[in-house]
Order: sequence, then structure tokens, then C-alpha cells
Amino acid sequence: MAWGKTLAKLFANAALGMFSLIGELDRVENRFTTQVAVDGNDYEDLLVTWLNELLYLFEAEGVLLKEFTIQDLGQYYLKGIVSGEPIDVAKHTIHRVVKACTYYEVKVEKIRPQLWRAQVYFDI
Amino acid sequence: MAEVWNGPLRKLDDWRWIIPREYKKGMLVEGIIYASERMIQAIRKDQAPEQVANVACLPGIVGRSMAMPDIHWGYGFPIGGVAGTDVEEGGVISPGGVGFDINCGVRLLKTQLTEDDVKPYLEKLVTVLFRNIPSGVGSEGKISFSLQDLKKAMVEGAQFVIKKGFGFPHDGEYIEERGALRGADPEMVSAKAMERGKDQVGTLGSGNHFLEIEVVERVFRPDIAAVFGLFSRQVLIMIHTGSRGFGHQICTDYLEKMQSAMGRYGIKVPDRQLSCASFDSPEGQAYFAAMACAANFAWANRQLITHWVRESFEEVFGRSAHHLGIEVLYDVAHNIAKIEEHVVEGKKRKLCVHRKGATRAFGAGEEGVPEVYRQVGQPVLIPGDMGTGSYILVGTELAMQETFGSTCHGAGRMMSRSEADRVSRGRDIPSELLRKGILVIAESKATLREEIPEAYKDVGEVVKVVEEAGISKRVIYARPIAVIKG
Repeated sequence: MAWGKTLAKLFANAALGMFSLIGELDRVENRFTTQVAVDGNDYEDLLVTWLNELLYLFEAEGVLLKEFTIQDLGQYYLKGIVSGEPIDVAKHTIHRVVKACTYYEVKVEKIRPQLWRAQVYFDI
Repeated sequence: MAEVWNGPLRKLDDWRWIIPREYKKGMLVEGIIYASERMIQAIRKDQAPEQVANVACLPGIVGRSMAMPDIHWGYGFPIGGVAGTDVEEGGVISPGGVGFDINCGVRLLKTQLTEDDVKPYLEKLVTVLFRNIPSGVGSEGKISFSLQDLKKAMVEGAQFVIKKGFGFPHDGEYIEERGALRGADPEMVSAKAMERGKDQVGTLGSGNHFLEIEVVERVFRPDIAAVFGLFSRQVLIMIHTGSRGFGHQICTDYLEKMQSAMGRYGIKVPDRQLSCASFDSPEGQAYFAAMACAANFAWANRQLITHWVRESFEEVFGRSAHHLGIEVLYDVAHNIAKIEEHVVEGKKRKLCVHRKGATRAFGAGEEGVPEVYRQVGQPVLIPGDMGTGSYILVGTELAMQETFGSTCHGAGRMMSRSEADRVSRGRDIPSELLRKGILVIAESKATLREEIPEAYKDVGEVVKVVEEAGISKRVIYARPIAVIKG
């Protein structure tokens, strides 16, 4: 479950939540930055696709991400800048592998003005 | 997710429970759960039976939507789920019916060594194995495939790495589909999947994956054990791993594609994670071709690990793997979709059989069974949880008639990972296991705690159900003496 004052914050917070499941983020520094752009069929699909794109970066680039800036978010696309640090096993603690973000009971809802909530399940 | 399921279960006999078609609108066939009365109470504790009913709604499903006794909640399909769709009648293929870890499976190696031969060298052996086989989160292989080699491995699977010198030429005979599922097409695999996969071939991974050294403790059927080349006190090696990040990415890619395709084809399913397309559609064909690539990747993976197991034994015992008799008994997939012919209502039909946390268990005389085993049936490898040992079963005629030749795949989780982590906090799991006579070495202590024995159902009870129901028979039980975890 993730919350945000805006839809953009919600997507950023969901990503931060996912990476806190993967590893300890306190000692992750800002040494890697990349641009991410994804699209979807609706906000739910967009959220799942966004998180899976970040999981791909984690495994393929071997990076722990901790900062997520959403630059552009519309129906239904997202562009953002993400940053973190290449994994160094001597420095970073990795908790677990998240295989994927699933579509199971995925929800993106505005629960009141200035408060969005999302729910996703991960396969670990 | 953890709500109790209160739906109807009609008892057919002591081992079979039916979810009637009337239970849910859209069910095309009835559901069936293979379980004992005692297990049913535990099975009702989550929504896994609801998932059996959901699967019964998939277009083109025939026979029954089935669940093996190790059933537990999964994404879309339950783990332990088996479903066949008629591909000539618009039957669908669903990535959720295979899961993220495509061709997660088990390979069993037999040796000519006994427990007494191995015991004095066990610690050294485990250390060498741990050093030679990459494991753990983010582990990279000892070899990295070029893109060209990776594509070859996707099509030729274990056969490709055997040709490269990682294995005995005849190893392929003792792998389901000879280690190379037909229909694989690397063009259907995304660049992302290849990027994730190229450094992970030849790695054990983490989570529930492991390598275990076991000793044959009980022989239930000596005649069949003899055909399999198994004997009392014999040392066996079990390898449990899958297609790693490569398979995860393929599943992720195609779940996304199927989401969009379902709208176009007007397919409606009760759960978004069950998204699917007819097998004959471009999306269905593409998924099958990509899934086959992941299945073959996994067989290549288990083949490479086999090679390093042999090298490790050679190093410790100072004798060749040939001399030590390290041979592949068999290799089974337990997360896969395959095209198979089965008789449904008296008619032979071409089905797409999804097995998600279920094992193929072909009976005697079937063509898919290696020739040397054909007179008795296929070896079925059932790993228990860490510390409880494994069973080797054999497929039966009844399984062919009733479950499209399928059976259980393991113990099945009873506790979530977080629950297991909570109840085991502060415990020294390696010492606990050592007291039971099992040497454990692991990359991560957290993984060990998530995999504690009490997190799983009793594998003995699971195999008892499939035996009593007649869909497989026990051949031997093997007790673990050492475990290597990611």
C-alpha cells in the first residue's frame, strides 16, 4: 500500500516502498541516474508497468534506487528520473529478490482531495 | 487474501473434493482438489480454492480445473494448479498458469556412493559445492553467454550446453522433453529478458531454491527402484532452480501484453492476473514461444549446475564423475505449459496443459518417458522443504486418465515468508538443522529463516494423498544430509 498527495507522489512513493523491500536504502548514494518512460492501459496498468521497469533496472543494471522524480504523468504515460547506486555487497544489505509486481488486486484511487492511495502485490 | 474460504466442497471420496460448476457464474467445468480431510481445513484458510474456481472460467478449459494436495495461494492460478485447454476449440494459454519462475524444476543426480563413503568428506564437499555453484541474490554465473549463445540455449536448452562440453552426451535422454521444449523462438523474447538472463545462466538463485545431498532411506517399491537405478543408502544430489530473472521478465512482459489483448478479443476472466489469449492468437503463440525459451534456459541452467556438481565431487574424491557414477536420474519442470494429447470424454484432444506447481507424471508405456523407464512410468521428483527430505514417485495410468498425467510438486507453503520470518526471529536455524544431522550452508540467513520447515506442509502427507488417489506411487524416500541455499 502506498500513499501520495498527488498522483506523481503516489507513483514515486510506491517505487520507494518496493526498493525498501529489496534492500537497506540508508547507505545508498546518488551515483547512478537514468530516465524512465512507460505507458499503460489505465493507471493500474501504468503502476504495475512502472514498478516492473524499475525491477528490470535493479537486475539488469545492478542498481539500488532510492530517488524517483516524476516529470510528466498523463493518461496513461509516465516519464521520470530515477537515481541510486550500483550494488556493492560490502556496503549494501539486500533483503530479497522481488520477482515481479503483479496485477493481483492492483488499485490506484483518489480517496479524498489531495490524497491518493495505491495497492499492489509483489511476487517474492 | 488470508480470508477463510467458505465455498462448497463436495466430497467425492477420501481424497477428492469437488467445487461444483454452480458455485460461480462463468465456471465452464467443475473444480477438484486432491486432499485429505485434515488438509482441507488448512486449504480453506486462504482463497486458493476460489482460484481453482476462477481457473475453471478460462475459455476452452476441458476436464476439470485441478489442484494437487500441495495447493496454496498463487497469483492468478493457485500453486498446485493444473488446467488443460483445448487448443483446437479456442482454448487459451495464460502466463499466470505458469507463473514468474518459468520451468522452476528439479533435477536428481544419482551416484554409486553410499552414505558411509560421503560422510567423512561431507564438510569439504559442501564447501567446494558452495564455492563452485553461484548462489544468492543477484548472483552472477561463472560463465557469461554471448547473445548468440544465449539464443542457442533458448532453442536447444540443455542440449546446447551439453554440446559445449558441460555434461555427458547421454544426459539429455533423462530430462523432460530432452531438455529442449520445441516451439521456442528467441525473436519473441524482449531485449530486457535477455539482458536480465545473460549473466544468470548457471546460478542457483535464492528463495526456495537449493542444492541438497540426500541418502536413500526407504525403498517402497524395490522393483521400480531397480529400474531407476536406486538402492538403499545411496547418495543422491537434488538441484532445485529455474529460469531466474530471464523467466521473471518474460512472464512480466507477456502479462502486460495479454492485458491489452484480452480487451481486443473480448475475453473476460474473474482475476486480472489470469489474463490470457487463445493459444492460436498471435499473442498466445508469441507467449508460448517465449515461455519455451525460458523453459530451455532453465534446463540449460540445471545442466551447467550438474556439471559443476560433478567437478566438485571429482575434486573431493579424486576420481572421475564417470567412476563415481554421477548420472542424471531425471529432470522435471513444475511451472510450465505444454501441448500434449490427452483423452477427454473418450476423444483424443490436443491440449495446452498448464502445470503451476505441479509435475508431469506420465504412466508406463507413454512416449514422453525415457525408454529405460518406459515399462514402469516416469520418475517424479518431489522435494520436501529444507530438512525433511524428498520422495521419488512414479507416474500412473490413472493420472493419464484423470489429471492429464500430473501430480503434486512438493510440500507447499503453509506460512507466508513474512510469517516464517517473524516466528523464527532470533533462532539459529543452521544449528537446529545440524542437530537433526543436516549440514547447511547459505548465502543469506534471512532466506534460511523464511524457509524453516514449519513454514511448509508435511510432504509425507502430500505424497500420501497422491498415492491413495492413485495418481502416482511412492518409490523411495531420501533423507537430506546437506543443504546449500541461495
